[in-house]
Amino acid sequence: MKGFTIPLALLASLATHAAAQGSTAEILTQAHDLYERLDIERALPLLRQVVSPGWPFEVTAEQRVEAYTYLGACLALVGQRDSAVVYFRAALEREPFTDLDPRLFTPAQLELFSRARRLTFAVAARPVPSGRIDPRTERLTLTIVTTHSAALHVEIRPTAGFRGATLFDGEGDGLREFAWSGLLADGRLAPPGRYELLIAARSRLLGRVDSARVYFDLRHDPPPLEDTLPELMDADLLPEHLPASAATGDLLKGLGVAAGALLIAQVFASRDLGGTVPAGSGIIAGAATVTGTAAFLKLRRRPVLPENVAENGRRRAQRADSNAAIQRRNADRLAATGLIIAPAAGVGP
Amino acid sequence: MLLALGLAALEGTAAQQRFSGSAWASLAEHRVDAGFGLERASGLVFGAAVSAHVGPRLELALRAQGGSLEASTAGAVDRDLGEIALATRVAAASFLSLQAEASRRVYSSAIARQAWTLVGVGAEVQVPFIEKAVRGLARAGFLPVVSVEGLHRPDLAFTAAAGLEYAAGAITLRALYSLERYDFPAQDAGRRPEQLSALTLQLSLAPARRR
Repeated sequence: MKGFTIPLALLASLATHAAAQGSTAEILTQAHDLYERLDIERALPLLRQVVSPGWPFEVTAEQRVEAYTYLGACLALVGQRDSAVVYFRAALEREPFTDLDPRLFTPAQLELFSRARRLTFAVAARPVPSGRIDPRTERLTLTIVTTHSAALHVEIRPTAGFRGATLFDGEGDGLREFAWSGLLADGRLAPPGRYELLIAARSRLLGRVDSARVYFDLRHDPPPLEDTLPELMDADLLPEHLPASAATGDLLKGLGVAAGALLIAQVFASRDLGGTVPAGSGIIAGAATVTGTAAFLKLRRRPVLPENVAENGRRRAQRADSNAAIQRRNADRLAATGLIIAPAAGVGP
Repeated sequence: MLLALGLAALEGTAAQQRFSGSAWASLAEHRVDAGFGLERASGLVFGAAVSAHVGPRLELALRAQGGSLEASTAGAVDRDLGEIALATRVAAASFLSLQAEASRRVYSSAIARQAWTLVGVGAEVQVPFIEKAVRGLARAGFLPVVSVEGLHRPDLAFTAAAGLEYAAGAITLRALYSLERYDFPAQDAGRRPEQLSALTLQLSLAPARRR
């Protein structure tokens, strides 16, 4: 009874003190100090307080993981091995990145922690770090962890649904880092948007599966690209076919010239100088009539304007050349595009 | 051949100087009734011109032509025709140009020599066919100044022409029927109508514009 009385009295004293201090962080600091002085008997109650449902103060996920870890470490030191493993597992389940520094913990603690890792299966990824990378020379470093050996699949994919890039597909155990170049599976630079880093794993020891997702936003920096030239509209092109009236128009022009020549010879010429029509006017009239008729027949048979067709072809080719040049310049700019990465909360904003 | 070589040489120079040149052959017919009945004479007339292009619209030309007309009616006499003219042309629109011309013409025969001084203004309309190389053209002009040795100023003096033009690169071929009509007032021998008509085939070289 005495053995309990002292700790209870101590606990009451500590609780009062904790209330006075009023924060989880301070209690954890005290417990850590006690642990460092190997005053395990006093450290344990403080740590149990923090993970207790009745603890009145806010406990962050990190603080809870720290409390579980030190509880496991304390219990390992006092020989309560199974309990130590339970607390280590609790820490690992909440934060798979949890690990013990071999310089600070005893081999026994490390062995129990390792046992907890083998009994627990979880995967996690660190939040994607913010920053800007040049895809030509830099890589985005992504960090993931599995608590023990597993078949591991790591993939980056846009939340919009199109195809992403597989970073790893194989065996993994513990902490791993992957470098992403910013390219997707098709070799193109990842377009701006929201992406997810997906980790899916199957435990080699337990046969269980686990997965984790981390989201991030990706933007291009900067460069604004040139727009290609729009399609040529009707207003941009010359008419390639003649209207039906064109043939008639040419016929009338020819007949008009012929009429003009005859008019000059017959009407404008002086009647006092003889009524015969000079041969010249007849020749011009005949030539004009033939020209107009030939033009009429030709245009009726083939109402195409070759000059306009050629000119339109030239304009189309010029547009195609301009667009090709724009695309080349855009490709050069895209090659120099930087990627701005920022962590995100979920699939959408 | 010589004509072609000459025109080619002219074109080479003209490419620098903005000159163009042309040459023509006309089948001309002269008719006049000086009170002794109709006199007709016809023959070939050859001519050439050189033009200076001043700016995009203005053209100055110096022309000369000459030939022999053979009498074809009783009472008519053979005569030679020689003419030199200074002309200017302003492009008022793509299809319309305005022209002014001053010329000196001489008819000479075995029995007489007659000099004419002519000043006229006119307009020429060119209508392109769909095949833009071919154009129809019509020309009309008024001659406010006609001075002929031994004759009064004519009551009526005008010119008119119609024809076709075919352009291929720098070369333009023109076929034209033209008429000049003069109605001189009555004098001792009565009224004197006179006209000169011609069927002309003209070859022009118009070099590209200097940039």
